[in-house]
Amino acid sequence: MLNFLIFCCVALPFIVGLALYCVPGGAMRKILVPSTVVVMAMAAIGLGANGPFHLEAQDFLGLPLDAAFTFLDFILLGYILFLGWNLRSRLIMGMTVLQLAGLVYLKGVLTDQATPVTGFAPDGLSLIMVIIICVVGGLITIYSLGYMDIHEEHLHLRASRKPRFFAIVFCFLGAMNGLVLCNNLAWMFFFWEVTTLCSFFLISHDRTEIANTNAFRALWMNVLGGLAFVSAMLFIQKSLGTLSTEIVLQKMTALDIKNTAMLMPFAFLCLAAFTKSAQVPFESWLCGAMVAPTPVSALLHSATMVKAGTYLLLRMAPAFAGTTMSTIVALFGAFTFVGTCMLAVSQSDAKKILAYSTIANLGLIITCVGINTAASMVAATMIIVYHSVSKGLLFMCVGSIEQRIGSRDIEDMRGLYSAMPRTATITTIGIFTMMLPPFGMLIGKWMAIEAIARATQAMTPILFFIALGSAFTVLFWARWAGILISSANLREYPVRGIHRPTVIFALRTLCGVALLFSFISPMVLKDFVGPSVSGIYARFNLRAEGFIPGANFTGVEGYSWIYLLFVLLALGAWFAWRATRRVPEKAHSLPYFSGLAVRRGNEVGFNGPMNVFEPARVSNYYLAQYFGEERITRGIDVISTAFLIVLVGGLL
Amino acid sequence: MLSILSALGGLILAPFAGGLLSGVDRRLTARLQSRVGPPLLQPFYDMLKLFGKEPKVTNAWLVFSAYVYLISSAFALFIFFMGGDLLLLFFVLTIGAVFQVVGAICVPSPYSQVGAQRELLLMLAYEPILILVFVGFAMCTGSFMISDVFRLDSPLLLKMPLLFLALGYALTIKLRKSPFDISAGHHGHQELVRGVQTEYSGPYLALIEIGHWLDLVLILGLCAMFWHTSVIGMCILAAASLFTEILIDNITARLTWQWMVQKQSLLVGMGFALVNLLWLYVA
Amino acid sequence: MRFVENMIKKSRLMSPWIIHFDCGSCNGCDIEVLACLTPLYDVERFGVVNTGNPKHADVLLVTGTVNHRNRHVLRQLYDQMPGPKAVVSIGACNLSGGVFKDSYNVLNGAQTVIPVDVFVPGCPPKPEAIIDGVVTALNVLKAKMGMGPAPEPALMPGDADVAKTAAAAGESSA
Repeated sequence: MLNFLIFCCVALPFIVGLALYCVPGGAMRKILVPSTVVVMAMAAIGLGANGPFHLEAQDFLGLPLDAAFTFLDFILLGYILFLGWNLRSRLIMGMTVLQLAGLVYLKGVLTDQATPVTGFAPDGLSLIMVIIICVVGGLITIYSLGYMDIHEEHLHLRASRKPRFFAIVFCFLGAMNGLVLCNNLAWMFFFWEVTTLCSFFLISHDRTEIANTNAFRALWMNVLGGLAFVSAMLFIQKSLGTLSTEIVLQKMTALDIKNTAMLMPFAFLCLAAFTKSAQVPFESWLCGAMVAPTPVSALLHSATMVKAGTYLLLRMAPAFAGTTMSTIVALFGAFTFVGTCMLAVSQSDAKKILAYSTIANLGLIITCVGINTAASMVAATMIIVYHSVSKGLLFMCVGSIEQRIGSRDIEDMRGLYSAMPRTATITTIGIFTMMLPPFGMLIGKWMAIEAIARATQAMTPILFFIALGSAFTVLFWARWAGILISSANLREYPVRGIHRPTVIFALRTLCGVALLFSFISPMVLKDFVGPSVSGIYARFNLRAEGFIPGANFTGVEGYSWIYLLFVLLALGAWFAWRATRRVPEKAHSLPYFSGLAVRRGNEVGFNGPMNVFEPARVSNYYLAQYFGEERITRGIDVISTAFLIVLVGGLL
Repeated sequence: MLSILSALGGLILAPFAGGLLSGVDRRLTARLQSRVGPPLLQPFYDMLKLFGKEPKVTNAWLVFSAYVYLISSAFALFIFFMGGDLLLLFFVLTIGAVFQVVGAICVPSPYSQVGAQRELLLMLAYEPILILVFVGFAMCTGSFMISDVFRLDSPLLLKMPLLFLALGYALTIKLRKSPFDISAGHHGHQELVRGVQTEYSGPYLALIEIGHWLDLVLILGLCAMFWHTSVIGMCILAAASLFTEILIDNITARLTWQWMVQKQSLLVGMGFALVNLLWLYVA
Repeated sequence: MRFVENMIKKSRLMSPWIIHFDCGSCNGCDIEVLACLTPLYDVERFGVVNTGNPKHADVLLVTGTVNHRNRHVLRQLYDQMPGPKAVVSIGACNLSGGVFKDSYNVLNGAQTVIPVDVFVPGCPPKPEAIIDGVVTALNVLKAKMGMGPAPEPALMPGDADVAKTAAAAGESSA
């Protein structure tokens, strides 16, 4: 049964992807895509319900899996080398050759074939990730069915490129599932490189010049990460003699003193994770990735890709708990958080705001990982879960808005509420789920701050960064939310838009999921995230210091008290909504504009000279003179590079 | 149960206390300007009058925002009276602040929009300070629960004098006092009309006003927490804070937003907070 | 409920927030209006606040010459004030057009555009007269709420003479 479920999550998407590529029929795609998504989601939930397990998977249909993965690794690296050749990039070719050399050394010289490694050993964390990938990723895939129709109509393509698109998306989902489920680092490396390759293809999907440039940047940065991963594998095999994540962690946590040689591979793994999660100074690839069609951004930012990096860190965190390296990781994450929040403030492009906020939240997760206590791990997992849902939703919203109004600048979204009230409302809800209690993200952030405040190391500067960053977060979210629902009418009524039913379905479902999940966030915390982390801590005999995060969540009493508060808040919102509905139509008046207000459509302004209508234009403060990209990016890059040098070099 | 009931009782009394304090504020301000000033109950007259006015709004979201603001302020105060978690209190306060801004931005009126932008900058200035102050509480008591403060033997003021000053900064901003009343001042009319509150009118302005009173009570309560060992001390501290705020309000001119965010708040406020936190950390 | 209603009615009289609109005067009236806020007169004693925003105001103080250009503004400001509200017309120009009366572009007084409750004549009227005007406006509101008699129209010193001369002029011409 487990075999079958894992097959559905990992191998099935690859097979379906291949099928979709080979059979370019639109009708078949419309059936195959949703049904596969449903199967994957069911399988993921089945796995989750089953709980943590071990599965010795030595062969698949008589094929020895280890050898197969080795073979596939080489094929994949060979292909990347070929890509590097095509792109005329010495950088990519050089790094790929180094990876190949490392892999040959690892497989040929170091690996002891006699000790088989448990194939799959997912614990709570992996299962949570699988559910996110299949549910959120699946909804995004369904969304792209409708989105890509309109997208290709706009591009006036002669031959549809949808078969290729969906094939890659499914491979991406499959690779992500494989990455979080498997236990063998070598297999994980394969899936890691597949996600790199898939993101390269997806970013360059539209084949414009800028798409190609940005895809190239994404490729070289992630190949650098791949190189770090290979180096880490080499060191681990050499010092610990195994590539099984589980055994590596067991050995590492059993050590009393962790010396440099022991920590070295984990520094490299951190580096790999930072590139994948687009932390500064590698943030440019994720920002560049927004040239791709919006479902790609949604995928990269929410369920896949960037979450792979944080997953790897969370997985490996017990190995370097209580070391200086861990503190540096935390500082680095906090610095990324505040730096990218500042950058987000200066942006008016909605996708860019979302991109920077993703990087910032990943930074927060990495801070929690660096703090490395049970409480901070719970916070990190919570943020991963809720960030995926909300960010996926927001990207899909921005995609729909862009297709409707032809722009994704938030200044152009003034009055959007009149044109598409439902989508504007959903987007606003998405924004609120990112920044306000009682929504899940805030629970995560709250626990993160508690965990950091209770931590012993370098707490003051980290908290300073987090406090500052949070304030910036409120700044850029709140103004966007206000713009989205701005309108000169008392109420707006939805009109029929251009969007396909799949798009609307995906938006509403994910919005519902976001709200529902937030509503049950104490339960999610208590029944899923908490046990998953305590499971990990129990497995490696770690002392779960300060666990059950904060005094608030201690025991049933505190938990129900928080829950009561959330219910009251929800009731308050409902009451406010009811009061709002009661406002009579005749209470409408134009905004105050010195007695000159004139309205034309949804615009308010005044009649200027010759009785010509002049709209009143207001724009946000973007504070570009302080936080403009060209002003501070360089500084942030320099400082973060210094952090990385300290992280890796400090161990030498 | 008893604590919930007493907290609810406190919540019901708080608007009256807040209104009265705000009356004291107006009267004291008038005296400082050598005027007679309005009656002590003037804020209540204002509020009741506003409730009796005809509703007039541009946008239904504005109404929603006004209600959410009041509700969140009430919740924050409730958490405070319950001795709850400081961080939760902070986040709940943020809901109200955010919705006040959202309500102002969602109306296409230049005055309220500019006011909202400035309000956001003000939030940028006071939010980090509040978080750091709350962290200071946590470092002294070992948890973020307000009730745990009362387990300490010596007043917090001795341990975190600089954080108290930093809190003073945050409070001046939160209470919309000069020199930080750039988004919606009681005196700064005509420049931005009433800034962020321009478009709230009649009953909805009254809701905002009550929310403001609740915030006033909460903030003075937070100040009083610094001398929790004696009731008289708490009263003295709260009264002194209020008087200082009013005095500062009357003797300073308004800042531009650049000056405020850059120099005043970030450097001075955050600087105080940081130094004090490091001191606590070392001690 | 009755109690709350009574309280609200009473409060209306205790807290008249004003908005002051200048239709284009010589600023004499405006300076006198603002003088009311100074410590010497201190209208905040009566709960008066100068809001500068029709959406918050209860009493509209209007000065200056109303003309074809600004009557729309005046009308909109009046419309944007939520009821119950009162209008006080201040100064000769605003009452009748003053020295500009019957000019090609001048409307003879604010009452041609919006309903005016109280007229405060003068060029400019003294601050005391303006404060008296606001208080009279409150009495008008009170009467509208059914809480008292409508205030009697009062003549200013000298008005009687004017009436007399006007009457005499009428007789002589007849």
